[in-house]
Amino acid sequence: MADTLVDSNGTVTSSDWKDRFYHVDQILDRPGPRTDPSFLAGDEVKDFLRNNCKILVIGAGGLGCEILANLALTGFKDIHVIDMDTIDISNLNRQFLFRQADVGKPKAIVAAQFVMNRVPGVKVTPYYGRIQDKDDAYYLQFNLVICGLDSVEARRWINATLVNLVDPENPESLKPLIDGGTEGFKGQARVILPTVSSCYECSLDMLNKPTAFPICTIANTPRLPEHCIEWASVLEWPRVHGDKKLDTDDPEHIGWLLSVASARAKEFKIEGVTWSLTQGVVKNVIPAIASTNAIVAASCCNEAFKIATSSAAYLNNYFMLIGTDGVYSYTFEHEKRDHCPVCGGESLEISISREWTVERLIEMLTESQNIQIKRPSLSTPLKSIYFQSPPQLEEATRPNLEKKVSELVPDGGEVTVTASTLPFSLSLLITYT
Amino acid sequence: MTITATRSLEAQDIEGATTALQSQPDSKTRRYDRQLRLWAATGQAALESSRVLVISGSATSTAILKNLVLPGIGHFTILDHESVSPADAGNNFFLEGFKSIGKPRADEAVRLLSELNEGVEGKADHRTLESILESEPQWLTSFTLIIAHNLHSSILARLSSLLWKDHTYPALMVVRSTGFLAEFFIQFHEHTIIESHSETAPSLRIDKPFPALKEHALSLDYATMDPTEHGHIPYVVILVRALEEWKQSHEGNLPKTYEEKKQFKKGVLALKVKSDEENFDEAEAQSYRCFTETKVPSEISTLFDDSAISPESLRQDSSPFFHLLSALKEFTIQSESHTLPLTSTLPDMKSDTKSYIHLQRLYKIRAEEEKQAFTSYLRASVDDELIDSFVKNAHGLQVLRGRQWGAFDADKEALATALLTSPKELMIHLSLSALSAVNSRGVKPTLEALREEVQAIIGEGVVPPDELEHNIGELVRAPTAELPNMAAFLGGMIAQEAIKMITKQYIPVKGYCVIDLIETWTGVVGA
Ligand SMILES: [Zn+2]
Repeated sequence: MADTLVDSNGTVTSSDWKDRFYHVDQILDRPGPRTDPSFLAGDEVKDFLRNNCKILVIGAGGLGCEILANLALTGFKDIHVIDMDTIDISNLNRQFLFRQADVGKPKAIVAAQFVMNRVPGVKVTPYYGRIQDKDDAYYLQFNLVICGLDSVEARRWINATLVNLVDPENPESLKPLIDGGTEGFKGQARVILPTVSSCYECSLDMLNKPTAFPICTIANTPRLPEHCIEWASVLEWPRVHGDKKLDTDDPEHIGWLLSVASARAKEFKIEGVTWSLTQGVVKNVIPAIASTNAIVAASCCNEAFKIATSSAAYLNNYFMLIGTDGVYSYTFEHEKRDHCPVCGGESLEISISREWTVERLIEMLTESQNIQIKRPSLSTPLKSIYFQSPPQLEEATRPNLEKKVSELVPDGGEVTVTASTLPFSLSLLITYT
Repeated sequence: MTITATRSLEAQDIEGATTALQSQPDSKTRRYDRQLRLWAATGQAALESSRVLVISGSATSTAILKNLVLPGIGHFTILDHESVSPADAGNNFFLEGFKSIGKPRADEAVRLLSELNEGVEGKADHRTLESILESEPQWLTSFTLIIAHNLHSSILARLSSLLWKDHTYPALMVVRSTGFLAEFFIQFHEHTIIESHSETAPSLRIDKPFPALKEHALSLDYATMDPTEHGHIPYVVILVRALEEWKQSHEGNLPKTYEEKKQFKKGVLALKVKSDEENFDEAEAQSYRCFTETKVPSEISTLFDDSAISPESLRQDSSPFFHLLSALKEFTIQSESHTLPLTSTLPDMKSDTKSYIHLQRLYKIRAEEEKQAFTSYLRASVDDELIDSFVKNAHGLQVLRGRQWGAFDADKEALATALLTSPKELMIHLSLSALSAVNSRGVKPTLEALREEVQAIIGEGVVPPDELEHNIGELVRAPTAELPNMAAFLGGMIAQEAIKMITKQYIPVKGYCVIDLIETWTGVVGA
């Protein structure tokens, strides 16, 4: 590695000053007792990490800020980051690359700039936009992908995209995906080797089911402050405002919901409607703190470092942490699911009643813990059953909703399920009871 | 700035909808929104009045502080007399790369950490710990909490003995890390927790209904009731009534055997007049609440034997917690039901608004009455909000008693037990202890030196498990490596526990928490 260089004006320009990597190099210069024999200690591995390895970070929020800082300090120098959000004041209690003056600016751009200023010689390339904007060629350029997202949909998308990228003829096409997530004092980090180990879709049933309030409770028998808030946002907002979209980040909109919900609460003698609760319910706010994010992001980056350098064994394959009562953690191997629609390859066999309508089947697909497909479209190899979009096709297939599945699909027949939010299709084998 | 506007978070069931703020909260409340949902205004106030001392400006120390400055502790001091080395500049995010080389490490770190939160006061102190221990040890006791990273064994021992002298002195968090291995330990005498955020819900006392509830349940006439109303009777009411009837025909006993329980559930379902009455399905599913007598949970009754509330030790100047605990004990003895005071928190259930709100009101009135009774047993004046919180959280109270740092290593019996129950965890702890001891003596950390040191701790003739070689091998590989990822991981872990200690909410870890970032796991030993 080069020593500090001095340019013609006499200012220090080089980034790799002597002993810059004093700490990390202790690991990279020699193997440990648990290191894989394939580890190439010394200059070769350092050169790969610092000059050749290209890593993608998805999300520049609570986890993303931490991930970017850790990767930069560890020696990754070609880092890309994608995020579609802008900075909100409520991010500042944990997203430490942002300041009050940055509120409203794109997270990816501000975070990239901050890390480049703080850690000399690191290149962070931001993209302010959606992961879905990018094609396969884009994702193929990276050696590793780290995901710090709070959206299940986005994770399912990137997971399926990376599984689809795998070409058995080309080992380079397998991009390890490291995924982290947190909620309050709890979090998890995992390593996914697409097609080899359990993928994000394989573990969909581990997600907590979101609280959903039945519409009849909201409309007729409210009991909790949450019911009054749902009434204001789900029923009253569209009734009063028509097509105007509710913006849960707009304080005026929240203020309106709060006053409508408060009035209803008062009418029913329900206590506890507050600004904080209103915002919490309509935005589905998840508590978040710097410390949990730090733990999860650090373990994601540590796995990235170990995978990129082979300097030590890596996580196989799931680390779960609960910090509410002492420090409880559980490291285990999550198993692949045979019928995983993304990496399983086999069709999912489902057995339903001959009386089931298409609508009932769609409801089941939406609610089932290991399927969870919002707004699915259905077809057989020969014909369309129901399509959510475009509008003409939706209208044309709508009459099928009331028909029995058994009238449209033979026993043992195949149904393909797709959704616009997911880059994969689920194949169902239908049998009748 | 004050934080009164955030009171609504915890107090939301007290304040009525009519007092809800109609305008957006102030900018400070918005900034802290995601954490106030975890520890509310009380926790935030505790954080804001805390003063934390961190010994050394290492990458780990600044990573810890980052996670304490962001949520808003009141004050921090970094005690560090070193200047920034080229190695520091490469692994610490709170230094500005080569620009910081040669400058005082504490100054640089304080400057960059302070940018994270204007509401936090930061101070750099260039003295050595040795000089403070010599000339001004009392200064150390002015902090809420002291965190020490990779301190040499000998000076650490002096610091820990000083802080152990008096139970009012600050807790000490000892952090050690090298390469992929680390551990930390919290030294404290006593730590009491009211808001443990226990995941078990307090009892609804269906088996011991208070008079108004019992009367309400028995007054309903299912036969003449409007069918809609019948389909909306809350399960609590259904079960109270069904159980009262059961007791009358079973000599006052609850359903005990498997057969009886089945029969009871069948009886509940038989009350349906229409098959789609979901409230009765819910009542059947909740029937387990009728099968065990509501008593003081054993974790709480154990606390009643605590020496701190014995008549000899409880004095006017005892902490409010122990006065409250003593009153709680008295309440459970004197009250008719011999239970904890009722709480007004009613879960949601299938019901119409009117029946639910009526039931909620009954619980609220009774809870208030029991709180008054509870308060009458208090022998000292305690803040009313604290009483409310205590009663509401009585089922999750915690009294933790800790040990001095290092006591475990000297306890041969405890070591022998840990060798059997948690060898993996113990070997990480002992390897790190050995490294620190070897470094303290200025000896080069070789496999032999570390092996010998571990053997000396566990005792001659005791055979260490295989994991020892793995761990000391890693330490010899990277004896002084402070990896950025480990620093960040510890930064999260230590800050998390510090927040729990300062807010007295949630439950901090006891014993040595060890971390292996090769296979990525954590464990606890020596609790
Ligand atoms: Zn899968």
